[in-house]
Amino acid sequence: MTLAGPDGATDVGPQPRTPYVETASPEPHEPEDPDEPGEPDWVSDLSSSGPRHEEALRRLHALLLKAARHQVWRMRDQLPGVGAVTVDELATCAADDALVAILAKLGGFEGRSRFTTWAYKFAILQAANEVRRHAWSSREVCLPDDALWSDASAGPEQHAEATDLAAAVQHAMAVALTSYQRRIALALLVEQVPIDVLADRLGTTRGALYKTLHVARSRLRAHLTASGHLTTARGGTP
Amino acid sequence: MTPDPRRLTSTDAQRLIMPTDPWLSCEDCFELTDRFAEELLAHPDTTHLPEMLVHLHACAACAEEAESLIVLLAADVGADPAAALDRLRG
Ligand SMILES: [Zn+2]
Repeated sequence: MTLAGPDGATDVGPQPRTPYVETASPEPHEPEDPDEPGEPDWVSDLSSSGPRHEEALRRLHALLLKAARHQVWRMRDQLPGVGAVTVDELATCAADDALVAILAKLGGFEGRSRFTTWAYKFAILQAANEVRRHAWSSREVCLPDDALWSDASAGPEQHAEATDLAAAVQHAMAVALTSYQRRIALALLVEQVPIDVLADRLGTTRGALYKTLHVARSRLRAHLTASGHLTTARGGTP
Repeated sequence: MTPDPRRLTSTDAQRLIMPTDPWLSCEDCFELTDRFAEELLAHPDTTHLPEMLVHLHACAACAEEAESLIVLLAADVGADPAAALDRLRG
């Protein structure tokens, strides 16, 4: 099964790598000077109107852009040949999307972490997804042909003597997993297709694919425990 | 001609049998990750939220994002994230 990329790559050839320069100055989490003001009341400011709201939006966007740039530069090696301008556009796009997501979920902020930490995670998620999508935008994603991995030529009796865990896992995949579970597990864990990229191409979500992986791993561990290759279903080897 | 069957490496095999219990979804991981990152940075030996550590060992995408958040938080306060990252990576 071949799933074409949604758009073409925009590689612009080798570009000088520009070091990441932080441009935002977020509020300190724990001001050491007691005379310093603490964190602003983000939820109240963002829920207000007029200049107070506009100022809060501006501060939040600067915070998100900082986090998005941090994330994009962490994953810079996944974007060979992509210029600094494009890299910064990815970060800006991620910050914009994160701002929209945060405003939609503002009522869900429960104060269990600092607001800035809560906000950062949205920008990091968006930026990581932007990089993964861009890196794979011109690449085909092939769900592996599970016939090549099923190891159907060898019967269980041959593997009963196998001490090689890899061979035992491969046999367990052939007999304990459905074709879909096998192909998803191979794509994510062996072919190393990023989970969000695979989810996009299959029209599903990261969560749904991880659930499939969870079921597949549980079945493999149970099978290998029954065959004596694992000491417990939690994954220990004898 | 039929291509030769592919063979798993031992690294592949370890990834395929990675424990994922106690169960935590990627959505729940995202919900908890801000609180977890602050907790781990302040107390790298924390025993809170053990299901987060299991999920982050088993889910590469969530793990990258959690590590990134810890590094960013540490930079904000001038802290060293090494101990928290060591715990995260097991
Ligand atoms: Zn996850």
